[in-house]
Order: sequence, then structure tokens, then C-alpha cells
Amino acid sequence: MTTRSPILGRFRYGYVAPAALLVAGLLYAPFVWTAYLSLTRYDGLAPPEWAGLANFGKLFDDPALLTSLRNTLLWVVGTMVLPVGLGLLVAVLSHDIKGGAWYRVPFMLPYALSGAGLALVWSPILSHGGIANVLLGVDTAFLQSAPVNTLAMLLVWTWQQLGVNTLLFVVGLQSIPKEPIEAARLDGASGWRLFRHITWPLMRPLTAVVVGLALVASLKTFDIVWVLTQGGPGRNSETLAVTMYKETFVASDYGYGSAVAVMLTVVTGLASYLYLKRQVAS
Amino acid sequence: MIRSGMATLGVAALFLAACGGTGGGTPQKKTELTLYNDKGAWTKYFDEMGALSKQQIGLGMKPTGYTDSAQYQAFIKASFRTNVKPDLFTWQTGGMLAEIVKQKQVADTTALWQEAIKAGDLSQDLAPYYTIDGKQYCVPMNVAYWGMFYNKKLFDQHGLKPPTTWDELVKAAATLKKAGVTPFYHTSVLFSFVWFEQLMAGSDPDLYDRLSTGKAKYTDPGVVQVMEKWKELIDAGYFVNPGDKTDPGDVMKNGKAAMISLGTWFNTSMTQRNMKAGTDYGFFVIPNVNPALPKTSVIFESGPLCSLAKAADPDASTKYLKWWTTAEAQEKWATTRGDVSANPKVEIKDEALGQITKDAGSGKYRLVNRYFEATPPPVLTAALDGFGKFVTEPGTYKDVLATIQKEADEYWSTHQ
Repeated sequence: MTTRSPILGRFRYGYVAPAALLVAGLLYAPFVWTAYLSLTRYDGLAPPEWAGLANFGKLFDDPALLTSLRNTLLWVVGTMVLPVGLGLLVAVLSHDIKGGAWYRVPFMLPYALSGAGLALVWSPILSHGGIANVLLGVDTAFLQSAPVNTLAMLLVWTWQQLGVNTLLFVVGLQSIPKEPIEAARLDGASGWRLFRHITWPLMRPLTAVVVGLALVASLKTFDIVWVLTQGGPGRNSETLAVTMYKETFVASDYGYGSAVAVMLTVVTGLASYLYLKRQVAS
Repeated sequence: MIRSGMATLGVAALFLAACGGTGGGTPQKKTELTLYNDKGAWTKYFDEMGALSKQQIGLGMKPTGYTDSAQYQAFIKASFRTNVKPDLFTWQTGGMLAEIVKQKQVADTTALWQEAIKAGDLSQDLAPYYTIDGKQYCVPMNVAYWGMFYNKKLFDQHGLKPPTTWDELVKAAATLKKAGVTPFYHTSVLFSFVWFEQLMAGSDPDLYDRLSTGKAKYTDPGVVQVMEKWKELIDAGYFVNPGDKTDPGDVMKNGKAAMISLGTWFNTSMTQRNMKAGTDYGFFVIPNVNPALPKTSVIFESGPLCSLAKAADPDASTKYLKWWTTAEAQEKWATTRGDVSANPKVEIKDEALGQITKDAGSGKYRLVNRYFEATPPPVLTAALDGFGKFVTEPGTYKDVLATIQKEADEYWSTHQ
């Protein structure tokens, strides 16, 4: 049986209020405001004018949106295969060997860089005539043609994200109970079979978190693309988040930019919901 | 329940009070003004101007420089609705200035202009760029004429002289190319419009003007021909790879390209790299593509320095703008950067830049407003992306023009 302090009970809304106000003021209010702006024509200066669903009409008629969606999808799939997939591989290969932590340190270091800083480091490497051209002895402009530019940026993203995914998977591997593994070994399971049928299912809760985080992060990819290519050339490397920024702050079309923001929110929310629902169900 | 509600309200009131700031509209007396600008690389020169103004009129100036113009413009627009307002700020002429004037955000400088023109500190020719509905706003932060900077050592090495006709320019490019030197610089990011505006202005400046006011279409035959001309030059291998991110100043210094078309402000990059005019590099006016045109077209730009209609200290801001236009201030501003000046009294040290300023002042050239200022922001954004695509894939020029026109149609349908 629990007892509730009458004083605590009386002031309970007061205690919650600061956090609730911050969330309402800094998260919900801007979200509602953005949703409203998406239904207006607004240049950031004159008062917004009601435009109904015109911005959404334009959105679905815009060929650049298809490119943005295609690139965003490439980022999502690429993130699952590279930073997440390779992270799992490095974790599995290094978690039960002597000095494994030291092998993982180099993968962790780039995680300390911000996205923009990361892009600045890679810009002279990937630009035409840059270090990558010299080292590989090729004349490829890695940041020019699609989808090569998105794939090149995915490699940069992998360089940064691999370490943290590895770390999370190692935590998962270390926290799974030893008994089922040992039992399986006694039954003769080893290698791929042991991983596929015993280790992997036991890691499912943690995998759900890693994949969920990576899914959301990849859907809102912005900083690396903005610094390395600004979504170009000719919008061919734009992601939804870059389109949102460009339409809003470069073209000063705040209404249309807000419509892209709403769409990005819906896509991210829907993808996260469907993924988590599937995880919970299984 | 009532008490908990009161507590909630109390916290909310504190929160709102904390967010609200002091507000108020009492004018302050300032001794130092803030100058927000999107020319982060020029902070050193703005600092020097701040020190000079403090000395000459007892009013200091502290610059805050941005390097990303989109971020800068978003900040300035947002500042109109907050208490964090700049005393002075740089902006763009053309549609961008008209936008903020329409919203009554910019201080009227008509009286200042009249006085400065009378005193010979500003030229009447410049006034139209700053005039909206018969009144002037802001003062010129800088002016620039666009032409071709060239690597003098490379020109000398291959026996070349600054061309005076378009054919001579193309011939010089062919000579350089044959000798293994890349003749021209261009880029797929931001300044992707440079060759478009130059070829348009040199082929049909009237069409260029009509294009920027929505009276001509990007799909018109004259515009298509310009893109085809540009494509010919790209196909001939006369340009550096547009994906090369080397700073144009370094491109010029290390001879990666022999010629770069930019505004006279590029001279500042040469100054910063200790390059000497006449020895290391030179500057020439780009000849017209169409030799039948009566005057050589020269791209012109002027960036404004503005103050707010509701400035914290309107007198101080006006005083500063007035000082900025004087010969004493402009002498320093032009000399330290090695650039030209909006004040006709200022003697330009650089010979080539001094000449173009003199010739432009005497009406020798047809001055054409730079594409960046002449084109409305949504069309400009589509065009910069489009030209970025074109320089990477020159075969796409018809699609590119159609895409820009689509944006132009949408814009001009509501802005004629």
C-alpha cells in the first residue's frame, strides 16, 4: 500500500508545470505553428496568407520531391546496411576476443565530431581533384553525379556512426544471458548457426533500439549533405530535410518549406510507428 | 486543486516573464553600433572601419559576420520581430530590398542621399538601385563591376594579351587549352549563374532585363542560344571541373584556371594572398559576344548598408550611414580591401579597377544589374540549382530552362 503526501498531491501540477510548459512552448507550439504555416503563403516578412492545401498540391507536383524521397530512402537503406550492419559485424567479431575494446576505439573517435565538422573534414577529400582522387588515382568527382554523391556521403556517415552502433551492439552482446549460448554450444552449435538462432534473437530488444534510432536519424539527414553538396548539383543529392531548409530559408518560401516539414514529420512518424509496432508484435 | 492551479499559473507567469525580455521602445544613446553582415571574411576590414569611425565621429562599430547568406537572411528577417535587432545590417538591392521596404522595416535615407549627391559623395546614377516608390533606402556598402581576372604569368608565358573582342577571348582560351592550361573557372554551387549572366548581357542585354522582370521567358530562343554558346565552351574543355571546391582566390594563384569572371571585390582575395596587380594578375572588361551592340555590357552590383525604421538609436544609425558615404570613410574602405568605391571622390589605387570605375562613370558601358539582385528569390533559387545541374550535365540545358521557367511562371503570376 502506498501513501501520498497531501502537500505533494496538492502541488503536483506545479511540479510538472515547468517541464510541461517547456515541452509545450518549445516542441508542440512550433509544431502547430509549422503545420499552420504549411497552409499559407509566407515569405518570412509579410503576414502569412491563407493558401489552403496549395503548398501540398505543389509538393506532389514537384519533380524535386521525388529526388528527395529517393535520396532519403537511399540514406535509410544505406544506414541499415552500413553503419548498423557493419556495426553489428564489428561488435560480433570483437566482443569476446582479448583486447577487443582497443580494436573498437578507432571506430569510436569520429563520433565526437559534429555532422557539419565531419563534412568539413571530408570536403577536401571528396571534392574533385581532392585527396581521394589523388590516393585512388582516379578522376571521379565523387560529389557530382547521383547516386554516387549520396553513396559517398553515406560512407562519411558510416565513418562517424559505425563506432556508436558497435558500442551499442557490444552492450547488447554482453548483456545477453550466458546459459542459452552455452547450452547451444553443448548441442554443437557454433559460428553462423549459433549467431543466427541463439544470439540474434536474444539481442532483439537492443537491435530494435539501434535500428529505430538509425531509422529516425537517416530520415532527417541534413548537416552532412548541406555542407558537402548543399543538395546539389542541380538538387540531385537533396534529402527531405535539405529540401525543407532550402525552400524555407534560401527561397524564402516559408509556407512551402513548412509543407515539406510536415511531410517529413509524417514520414518519420509513420516509419517509426510501423517499425516499433512490428517489433512489439514480434 | 485551486492552489495547484495557482502554482501552475505562477510558474507560467515566471516562465513568460523570463522569455519576454525588457521590450520597450525608449530610444537609447549609443556610442557603439552593431553591424550585422553576411561577409564574414571581411570582419578584419569592418573592424578597421569601426576603429576609424570611433576616431572620426565618436561612434564605434562592432561587426558580426555570417558566412552562410541563407542563415544570415533568416536571422535578419526574424530579428524584425524580436528585441535582438541590428543597428546596421547589409542586405541586397533589387527584390530583396523591395521586400523589406514594403514591410516598413528599413529607415528612409532620402535626405541623406540628397545631401551626399550634392556634396559629391554619391553619384546620381547609383540612386535607382536604392530607390523604391520615389524614396531612397540604405546607402551603398559597396559597389562592384564584374569582369575577368586573369593570371598574368600564364598569359605572358603563352604570349597572350587581354582580349578586346569575343573572338579574341575564345582564341586565347583555345591557345591556353592547347598548352594544357584550363582557361576558365566556373562552379556548380551558388555562383553557378556567372557565365549565364555574362553571356546573356553580352549577347542581348535587353532580353536579360526583360527576363529579370518576367517579360521574357527562359525558354525563349535568345536564352536557349546563350545556353548553347555556354555548352559549346564547356564541351571544348575550357572550364575547370565545377565540382572542384578550391577557393577561386587559390585557383587564380596556383593557375588551376587562367581566367575567373567575378566582381571587383575579388581583388580583396588577391590582396589577402599577397598577389600583385599587373605582375601576378590583371583584370579586363569581358567583350560582348555580339559585336553589334552599341556599348559593352558590364555587370554591376551594389550591396546596401541599412538601418532599421525602428532603430534603437535612429540618430546614431543615420549619423553612421552618413559617415560611411564620406570620402574619408570610403578611402579607407576601398584601399584596405583593394576595391572600388561608391564615392566618386575616392581615388582607386589599382590601375585596372580605377579605369573601369572611371569609364563606367563616364557612360562608356551599359551597366547591367547582377543576376543575383535582378532575379526574384524563388526564381533565383531554381536558377542557381538549374545552372548547377547544367554545368555538371551540359546536355540538360533545355530541361534546366524549362524548370526555371516553371518557377518564374509561378512567381510572376502573383507579382506582376
